[in-house]
Amino acid sequence: MRILLVEDDALLGDGLAAGLKLAGWSVDWVRDGEAARLALLDQKYDGCVLDLGLPRRDGVSVLKDLRGRGDATPVLILTARDTRDDKVAGLDAGADDYLTKPFDLLELQARLRALTRRAGGQAAPTLTHADVTLDPAARSVTREGQVVTLSAREYALLHDLLAHKGRIRARAELEESLYAWGEEVESNTVEVYIHHLRKKLGSDFIRTVRGLGYVVGDAA
Amino acid sequence: MKSLRARLLIAVGGATLLVWAVTAALAYLSARHEAAELLDAQLAQSTRLLLQRVAFEDQRQRSDEGEGEDDEEVTDKFEHDRLNPYVQDQTFTVWRLPGHVLLRTDNAPAMGLLARTGYSDLIEAGRTWRVLSRRDATGRYQVQIAQPTQGRDRAALEVAMRIAGPMAIALPLLIGFIYLAVRRGLAPLNALAGEVARRKPDELAPLDADDTPPEASPLVAALNDLLARIAGTLDNERRFTADAAHELRTPLAALKVQAQVAGMANDEATRMHAIGQVLAGADRAAHLVEQLLRLARLDPLRGPVQMHPCGIEDLLLEAVAALAHLAHEKGVTLSIEAPQPPVMVAGDPEMIAVALRNLVENAVRYTPAGGRVQVGADCAQGVRLWVRDDGPGVAANELDRLTERFYRGREVTSEGSGLGLAIVRRIAELHGAGLALANRSTGGFEAALVFPSEISRNP
Repeated sequence: MRILLVEDDALLGDGLAAGLKLAGWSVDWVRDGEAARLALLDQKYDGCVLDLGLPRRDGVSVLKDLRGRGDATPVLILTARDTRDDKVAGLDAGADDYLTKPFDLLELQARLRALTRRAGGQAAPTLTHADVTLDPAARSVTREGQVVTLSAREYALLHDLLAHKGRIRARAELEESLYAWGEEVESNTVEVYIHHLRKKLGSDFIRTVRGLGYVVGDAA
Repeated sequence: MKSLRARLLIAVGGATLLVWAVTAALAYLSARHEAAELLDAQLAQSTRLLLQRVAFEDQRQRSDEGEGEDDEEVTDKFEHDRLNPYVQDQTFTVWRLPGHVLLRTDNAPAMGLLARTGYSDLIEAGRTWRVLSRRDATGRYQVQIAQPTQGRDRAALEVAMRIAGPMAIALPLLIGFIYLAVRRGLAPLNALAGEVARRKPDELAPLDADDTPPEASPLVAALNDLLARIAGTLDNERRFTADAAHELRTPLAALKVQAQVAGMANDEATRMHAIGQVLAGADRAAHLVEQLLRLARLDPLRGPVQMHPCGIEDLLLEAVAALAHLAHEKGVTLSIEAPQPPVMVAGDPEMIAVALRNLVENAVRYTPAGGRVQVGADCAQGVRLWVRDDGPGVAANELDRLTERFYRGREVTSEGSGLGLAIVRRIAELHGAGLALANRSTGGFEAALVFPSEISRNP
């Protein structure tokens, strides 16, 4: 799952990027409103953490631009502006959630999980298919009640496929979801991770749709 | 300071009393004078009547009885009529010249024939008398009418009192009216004082100037001016506190997030990086707090700056030395152009140093690597301490906002406190100096502190 982080403060941005990566997201970090607008135009994100007081373009403007295009990417506003009017303005501009600084990293992670889950049209906090259950909060995967140990990339790939259950995910989409900017994408990595997951979860858990990509469950 | 009411009462009441007393005295004197004239005229009329009567009676008697010297002295007593002050005791003696007393009232003073006719005053047996002596046209009879002056004085006093009496009643009435008028006249001032006194500390709306008399309107205007300034200061302080709290949120959030990352990290590199960031964040928060305190200490309400002669060269060197490290890190060349001969300005050397340091720090921060920052001074018009860079400059529409607290340029992503130029401007104001911020025609930016005048090296 890939998140766009928009924060102009170097120290906070650095900490947030690290904190969100620890929670299993791949994070793209931009430091001004204009860069955020371009990134959101360029890339489909699973969520966006947006500061409001930004150089070059205000956060609210970025948000309005995004919603104006009909883009429903979940957006969580993260700002030092804490009056009721600010919150109302932010939510009315199209934000899905609002956190004021200073905040708790664990709370931010949980809210982002909830946002991405709801955006995927899913009600339960865990993702389940067949005998496999993925708990995003605990970052754990079980099969028939037994914990399955996965690497960070394997987990991220499984999370993406379960979150898009029944939809075919192209290799490129999976790569984008797995890798943030500046991270080297090795060729065939997706195939390698799929191979590992099939070994741990059963060979027919992830199906290959020839020429299109991969899918968990029956393709719609 | 006496109350206005007391002053007015004393002044107006005193003047009234004085005028009243003078008027009363004049009235008394003129009444006395008039009474004396009236009584004198009475005397004159009496003498004339007496003379005519005496001459007529004497002639007839003598023609009846011959030229005998048989006249008995006729004494008579006149009854007093006390009801009229002008009715006075009149005593008289009538002579047939050269020396025969024809007629004499028994209460007349013993006095001889006066050689001189007309009015005179006489002291006889401890009493003073007003005397009029007159001869008839033939020169055969002389009448001397004497009146005790005591009675005359009493009559004069009585007349004077009849005039002064109503005035004496008028006086307390007048004083009463003056008191009421003064009270009433000063009522708007009392109302004004009441309105100010009733106010709560945060009620800073201007006073209604329409309701005040023109005499009090300068006071009301001054009060309103003061109220407006207090409101401005309070507003400023409130905003400052809110801004400061707001500005501390981001570094605090960063500290917390980095600390949580350090706690959650499962590899050493991530943890060490996060801990380093926590330390950097603490430094930044400390810097922000220090700048806030500095700005608070530069409060103009705290009183004037202690002025000392400050050597410009030392200040420039100090500022450059303080920022040499940052400039080196950023790859910016920092140079100094000290003025020759050396120049001094009056001011607080520590404050001027802070201001210069902030200006140089801004220049170094916003100049890209490979750029150049110059620091110097010239004395063409006053003393200009300038800091020039060849960085990107500032958008024209942002120039005015640069010295606002916590304002950061739209294009800028910077780690500054947002207070640097606000501090510089405050320091400039406290020194009566100007802060000139402008893009240079050759590209880049110039910030200058402009002191009105230099001071000589040996004052």
